[in-house]
Amino acid sequence: MIARVLTVFLKEVRDALRDRRTALMVLAASVIAGPLILVLMAQFVSGLEERALTRKVRMAGAEHAPALVNFLQRADVEIEKAPPDYAERVKAGRLDAVIVVPGDFHERWLAHEETRVELVYDDSRTESSPAIRQSERLLDAFNRETAFLRLLARGVSPSLNKTVKVERVNTATPRQRGAAILMIIPMFAIMAAVLGGMTVAIDATAGERERGSLEPLLANPVSTLAFALGKWLAAWASAALVAAVTLAGFVLAAELYAERKLPSLLQFGVPEYARYLAVLVPLAALTAALEMLISTYGRSYREAQTYVSYLSTVVAFVPLVVMFSGGKEGAWQAWVPVLGQLVALQRILRGDGLSAFDALVPAALALALALAAVAAVARLLRDERIVFGRS
Amino acid sequence: MIAAEGLGKRFGDVEAVRQVSFVAGDGRVTGLLGPNGAGKTTTLRMISTLLVPSAGTVRVDGIDAAREPLAVRARIGALSDARGLYARLTARENIAYYGELRGMARQGIEESTARLAGLLELGPLLDRRTDGFSQGERMKVAIARALVHDPPNVILDEPTNGLDVMTTRSLREAVRRLREAGKCVLFSSHVMQEVAALCDEIVIVSRGTVTATGTPEAIRAAAGCEDLEDAFVRLTGAATHEP
Repeated sequence: MIARVLTVFLKEVRDALRDRRTALMVLAASVIAGPLILVLMAQFVSGLEERALTRKVRMAGAEHAPALVNFLQRADVEIEKAPPDYAERVKAGRLDAVIVVPGDFHERWLAHEETRVELVYDDSRTESSPAIRQSERLLDAFNRETAFLRLLARGVSPSLNKTVKVERVNTATPRQRGAAILMIIPMFAIMAAVLGGMTVAIDATAGERERGSLEPLLANPVSTLAFALGKWLAAWASAALVAAVTLAGFVLAAELYAERKLPSLLQFGVPEYARYLAVLVPLAALTAALEMLISTYGRSYREAQTYVSYLSTVVAFVPLVVMFSGGKEGAWQAWVPVLGQLVALQRILRGDGLSAFDALVPAALALALALAAVAAVARLLRDERIVFGRS
Repeated sequence: MIAAEGLGKRFGDVEAVRQVSFVAGDGRVTGLLGPNGAGKTTTLRMISTLLVPSAGTVRVDGIDAAREPLAVRARIGALSDARGLYARLTARENIAYYGELRGMARQGIEESTARLAGLLELGPLLDRRTDGFSQGERMKVAIARALVHDPPNVILDEPTNGLDVMTTRSLREAVRRLREAGKCVLFSSHVMQEVAALCDEIVIVSRGTVTATGTPEAIRAAAGCEDLEDAFVRLTGAATHEP
């Protein structure tokens, strides 16, 4: 039995290695997907940091508010005059936030009357939010300073004004902030496991039917379980390999590029790589087995490809569901295939500890389901409608 | 030796094969002759254990196919209706894969491949990928693959279909040599001349059942015709409207 499984496995691997589609998949995964996405993300994130670091505000009508200008200058903030069409520019995303000072600001301010400024922004753009928050904080600080001085001038303790003092403590480590944006790595890792075994899984099942090689193959004195196991191992190996290559691309890109640009945000080195593989290899066993099971129903490569694309769509939806449902993390997540892996991958990236439960339950579940799917394939290969069905 | 006893097969409401019985002996070539759709392929699939009969039994060298399908498969080499090869593997690798699946050692596979290459005139093709092979070349590789374990029973389903004259001749020669080697050769055809040229025993199948069995002479006598082709036409019922 084991010798037959090995024979089938080696034949499928050799066949796949000579298949251009496999080579293309590995190439696309390693060269294009990983590094390219990472570089783009790094550009985006470092752009955010730059905007937040440069202390600069844009003002319209700064000449009406000498006190505010004085405050900002003392705070070492660069003031830039906003162009007259600032409203359109903000709408178009070319300006982040503009402080608009009305003409009567100075008179009212001197008279201690209620004074207003407008802060114009578009908060539907994530990349603007650091600049918006900065402007808000600066205006706040100006407010506090003014109130403080006025109370002091009237002989009132300024602390009366502050019943509750809020001190901000952000618990996110820099690494976690990077991971929030880099949700994309777990998603790519999972998709690599899904797509990596596809070619082999389809070729070894629907491909055999299409070529007319399934019937003579099954005439050999070998159990269908041995065939199903050998073919599954080949598809699994392919999926695991593509996942490994994709992630190696991430490691390399993080090493060469992102580490220099965002040292604090992204840590995806060799230890993370090893943990990722430990999560993804069992997942690849499941996705390869499911793809084989689905493809066995396909009479041609193309037909099976269509069925399998439904599976990859379902898998691709899991991270989206997690993102939008906003559900709390819990132990139940480990029991849902793909979701369990996603949660584990996110924890690894955030630098959180991964408990044995979080690591082992999804892996054991994936392997058990994979074996069930392989057994189902073996049963289907004994079905006359599958083996001889042409219509 | 292959013995079919009262074989029947239903696909839903369609009875593709019913009450098919015959014996194909060792050292003989037995031809399953009948028009397209007569049930020849279904019968051969039941013998090679790929289809489970709805009725009847198959015995190969005395082994019941329903009870020990793997043992029966080990004693059969079958060229099936579907004869796809792996296009990215060479002819030699295609043949070796089946040898390994049958548990042969590397040396045995090499010797067997060399012997079959001689029998089927495959020599120059062996180390080329089968992608781009002609139909005749693919057929030869498919036969070599089926016979790599030197089985005592050989089943060939319409082996000459779509082959040119030269390939057909070399195939006939190969079948004769298998008979000389004492094999039980069972092959199907819808071409009367094919069967007449090769067979020691003819089983005529029509509409899923056996209408006549015997040597070519016996068949001619049974039909009351001098010409084998006339006998075939009469016995398959294809010309019942004629006087």
